[in-house]
Amino acid sequence: MRVFAVIPAWNEAPRLGGVLEAIRPYVDGVVVVDDGSVDDTSSVARAGGAITLRHMMNRGQGAALRTGTEAALRLGADIIVHVDADGQHDPSMIKTLVDPIREGEADVVFGSRFLGIDPTGMPKIRRMYFWAAKLFNTYVVGISRRVTDPQSGARAMSAAAAKVIDFRQDFSAHCSEILRLVTKSNLRWKEVPVHVRYTQETLQKGQKFTEAFRILWHLLIRGTK
Amino acid sequence: MPIQYFLLVAIAVAAFIVWKRFREGVVGLREGLLWSLIWIGAAVVVLLPDTTSVLARFLGVGRGVDVVVYGGIVLLFFLVFKLFVHLDRLEAKMTDLVRQEALRGLDEKKGCCGGCAKKEDSAV
Repeated sequence: MRVFAVIPAWNEAPRLGGVLEAIRPYVDGVVVVDDGSVDDTSSVARAGGAITLRHMMNRGQGAALRTGTEAALRLGADIIVHVDADGQHDPSMIKTLVDPIREGEADVVFGSRFLGIDPTGMPKIRRMYFWAAKLFNTYVVGISRRVTDPQSGARAMSAAAAKVIDFRQDFSAHCSEILRLVTKSNLRWKEVPVHVRYTQETLQKGQKFTEAFRILWHLLIRGTK
Repeated sequence: MPIQYFLLVAIAVAAFIVWKRFREGVVGLREGLLWSLIWIGAAVVVLLPDTTSVLARFLGVGRGVDVVVYGGIVLLFFLVFKLFVHLDRLEAKMTDLVRQEALRGLDEKKGCCGGCAKKEDSAV
């Protein structure tokens, strides 16, 4: 089974090279979608051996993931893994995410930061944010209560599942949208514990708390199926 | 009162623009009629301000002018929301275009131009 990693990258030149090197042993191919970066993200991706696509302007992480997923399908991927470009994700998680699909146990696997492996460097206030996001996801977005991580960026899906999951949110709201689409569908899904490492750099670039309102707004305006 | 003349001219200009846009095919018939109805209503209110008092009494609002203000606020909210939805549709189209362009890059890299699925596996 051919496993492809899809990495959306926006101004990630300093971190992307390390991520590509680290995930290489776990995948058969890597698609990097340079989401309108103004730095050397594309050249770093190419130098790292990734199939590199470029959005001519910044369209958001969700949009880049969708482009990358479509590219991976066209390239003949059997399993597609979404990985962050900033090195937050422990590369060994790819195996954890992919195994249940390979063994036919699930069609979609989500990595959860709250299933036993403590995230390194996650500030307390961010934990509270995730707790609020979980409530919001359950009662407003309509995502199953069984989901423990409301904003997980680590996920793997079979090619068949990727064709069915029609996510349209361009920005951060895609996490909630994908969770909703999958948990409401007939696809078999599961969560597995993953380890995430927060550094000062990733925290600075990562989601701000005002982002929560943006997510809410996007879900309201564009909606989800 | 001078304000009535001023408002009537403004309403006439607005209604004229609606029908000009309709003739140009920018605005559909339904939308054109809806807007005409809104402007006719506005003209009635300007010419016969007491009509709003009847509506105000019916709705339990104190003064006729308050009904107009409340109605105006609701209408503006609706229009702003519609504008946001329209804007989002444009954003989605823009994303689709950007995506198509990016994926064309993939097809070029594979040495084919879309629709050649059989070649895909061997090209990678």
